[in-house]
Amino acid sequence: MKKSIILAILIFCMFLFYTIPAAQSVRDVRGRLTEKTSYEPTKIAIEETRYVGIDYITANDSIIMRNCAAILRNDIDFSPFFEIVVIDSFLMKHMEIDEMNLLAWKWLGSAYLVRLEAEFPENKIRLKYRLLTTESEKEIKKDQYETDKKDYRTLVHKIANDIIKALTGDDGIFLSKIVYIRQVNGDKEMFISDYDGYNERQLTFNKSINISPAVSPDGEYIYFTSFQDGYPKLYMYSLSSNSSDLIAGYPGINASPAVSPDGKYIACVLSKDGNSEIYLLDRKGKIVRRLTNSWAIESSPTWSPDGKEIAFTSDRTGSPQIYIMDAEGLNIRRITFEGKYNDSPYWSFRGDRIVYVSRDKIFRVCSIDVTGRDYKVLAAIGDNENPHFSPDGNHIIFSSNRLGPQDIYIMDLFGRTQTRITAKGNCSNPFWMPYKK
Amino acid sequence: MKRLLLLSLIAVTLLLFYGCGTKPKPVEEVPPVEETKPQIPAEPKVETPPEPEIKKITESDFMIVYFDFDKYNLVDSAKRALDQNAQILKENSSIIVQIEGHCDERGTIEYNLSLGEKRATSAKKYLKDLGIDDNRLQTISYGKERPVVFGQDEISWAKNRRDEFKIISQ
Repeated sequence: MKKSIILAILIFCMFLFYTIPAAQSVRDVRGRLTEKTSYEPTKIAIEETRYVGIDYITANDSIIMRNCAAILRNDIDFSPFFEIVVIDSFLMKHMEIDEMNLLAWKWLGSAYLVRLEAEFPENKIRLKYRLLTTESEKEIKKDQYETDKKDYRTLVHKIANDIIKALTGDDGIFLSKIVYIRQVNGDKEMFISDYDGYNERQLTFNKSINISPAVSPDGEYIYFTSFQDGYPKLYMYSLSSNSSDLIAGYPGINASPAVSPDGKYIACVLSKDGNSEIYLLDRKGKIVRRLTNSWAIESSPTWSPDGKEIAFTSDRTGSPQIYIMDAEGLNIRRITFEGKYNDSPYWSFRGDRIVYVSRDKIFRVCSIDVTGRDYKVLAAIGDNENPHFSPDGNHIIFSSNRLGPQDIYIMDLFGRTQTRITAKGNCSNPFWMPYKK
Repeated sequence: MKRLLLLSLIAVTLLLFYGCGTKPKPVEEVPPVEETKPQIPAEPKVETPPEPEIKKITESDFMIVYFDFDKYNLVDSAKRALDQNAQILKENSSIIVQIEGHCDERGTIEYNLSLGEKRATSAKKYLKDLGIDDNRLQTISYGKERPVVFGQDEISWAKNRRDEFKIISQ
């Protein structure tokens, strides 16, 4: 009798030990995607900025210094390949150290360390950085930049780009800009800002409805639909001259532009023949070819990175679904079969996947392989719209009303670290601009 | 001579009244007019009856046509609304309207722009089939950009999925 009780307890304990690790792996924050795409992000530490000037430091300058380190941490942490090591005073006390040194950062698992030094000659800021390995204390890269004090954010983004380039070989995206639509006094105007939502600037002032911005690959022109003339027509905004020209003003709607990867053509939606169809225009707005031919709604074209194919939305089966065709309009095939309402496709720059929205009570951001396999839900809080890839393909920008007001959000390729980058609401139609050469 | 004139006058007024389909009774009231220039007052008299019909048609006289979610086909209530709007357009043959297609906030901006276009054109087609000259029917889509109700529930959405009639010229 006693033996059997002991045995029962033993079995119970074994059961416990067996289940606990399983439960932990389910609770893993990094979620379902880790099985296939698992990698350990490299840990990196960024110390507070040190003041190396001669004069007494002003309160304002010390705030800038603190912000510099914070912006740099935010930038580097944004890369899916790196993780910022944080330290608090409790940990320092526990480790019995007064000041963090290379060895201390190494103890915390940090592979690299960035040291920042600032001085403020006249009304400028001079920022030096040194990138070190904690392993051998080897200096990988160092440089210094100088600019007007008010542009210090740009300076930090530049350093972040340097660090990413030095450690991964890839170009950083921290100097890239985003374009989006914000509602102002009941009108929808086009805005541009840094990738992190700062330095916002209004581009259009036509007091009407402006929607669907799409930027040319050279980052020079923004194609968009505007009602400034009463009807939805297609315009081209030049960022160098800060003015817009009419591109297409055919009867009906002129909407949903997508610039080809070589920048020569614009795929867009025209309804001049009584029904929304996808057309190919040249840069001046002249019709090159009509690509679709059906009684149904055709919308939201997006180019494959090689420019040979176009994905789009069509409701030819009675509900919107995503299709792919050749750039000549032939060989149309459906790729989404999951869900009754799939729309707003955007082709990844790597060419393998398409991100889109799918309705299941709410509008979720999903991604699917171009062959129609491997469907994944990436964002499923609130209603989400217009997902677009970042120029390096590592991130997705989209709009969401998950907190009530509609704002612009960014997440990584796998749907992790979903971050809001605009405030005040009424934002839509984000488009991540290409690198500025 | 005077008699002949009077006779012809009566004939003309008779014809006019007959054309209007009014009761023959007022015809008998005309003869007392014996002056030679009654033709001028007689004409406005004839025109006055249709005037209350022309009485300034405003946009609120047109029915709003409602649609189901992600649909642009006309349900029975939508057809009834369009029948009424067709009646107004038939009675006021000079009115040119713009049919505005609208959508609720769900779905993307681009798709809804096309959907609103479909809603406007399906109303236009229905009115054309009822005999309205399609030159009098312009269309525009606002997609989901101009909601009338801002709630996030089925009642609000249903009110936003609509065709509105705007008068371009009378």
